[in-house]
Amino acid sequence: MASATRHIFKRLFSNTARSATPEGAAYPFSKTALTPPAPKAAETEVERLRQGKRLMEFVHKTLSPPEKQALLQKYFSRRSKDVLQPGSIVTVLQDQAPTQFTGVLIAIRRRGQATSFRLRNILQRTGVEMQFFANSPSLKEIKVVRPPPKGRMRRAKLFYLRDAPDKMSALAGGRK
Amino acid sequence: MIGLKSTLNVIDNSGALLVECVNVLKNKVNNGHGSVGDEIVCVVKRARPISAATQASVNAVKVRKGDVRRAVIVRTRKQVRRPDGTMVRFDDNAAVLLNNKREMLGTRIGGIVSSDLRLKGWSKIVSIAPRVA
Repeated sequence: MASATRHIFKRLFSNTARSATPEGAAYPFSKTALTPPAPKAAETEVERLRQGKRLMEFVHKTLSPPEKQALLQKYFSRRSKDVLQPGSIVTVLQDQAPTQFTGVLIAIRRRGQATSFRLRNILQRTGVEMQFFANSPSLKEIKVVRPPPKGRMRRAKLFYLRDAPDKMSALAGGRK
Repeated sequence: MIGLKSTLNVIDNSGALLVECVNVLKNKVNNGHGSVGDEIVCVVKRARPISAATQASVNAVKVRKGDVRRAVIVRTRKQVRRPDGTMVRFDDNAAVLLNNKREMLGTRIGGIVSSDLRLKGWSKIVSIAPRVA
């Protein structure tokens, strides 16, 4: 009985280090602790990506150039101080036709890299709505001409303006 | 998305005001629906009254109600996608009348047109239009 317990004690509190201590670092606080073998040589980021690890995160970070990322951050991040507000008058400068489009911002669709916004204007007695994608390479600049009246509108999506030309012209006329 | 029975405003000075689509030409995709830049066959539903003087003159090509003509769609209420993802939507459907040789019947255009016409080969219309979006 005593020898059995002594055996157990011996095994639990043995002084000699056991098999398979590794190439890795020795555990500094005990000579008998087992440390598993160190992992294989670190994979490079490219190898990890090829295996599909953290691939979407990488895509979101590198899909558009840093100036575009800054634009997205400046105008669409909710915490930014220049964030676009629905109801403001915005001008968009593009590479393709129409090179310049101004309109009331009626909707912002936040979808990460696929974020887009809609501008509505009345040109030649016809309502025109355009949906611009923030990350598009042909989108050069976004300028806020006027902020929304009274600081904010009471809706996030101003689709009611399609049926209310008087409210549309009030926004365009610019009551403060 | 213009199909059979769709009505379009006519924005040139050919004399027609409202046109109803009867057939969309050369469009084997999209279920036979027409979009900006597609040629359609249409019936004139409403036209400006033609005075006797214009009736007599040979130059003026004025259309009457009930005429069957061809037209090209220049504005649609259904949004049209540009190659970079930009979408355009107008508040009405509009067309410009043509003759059988794809030439315009009218001489002036009174309204905004979509710039997708240029991609489809209607640069003549785009150049005459007062505003392009």
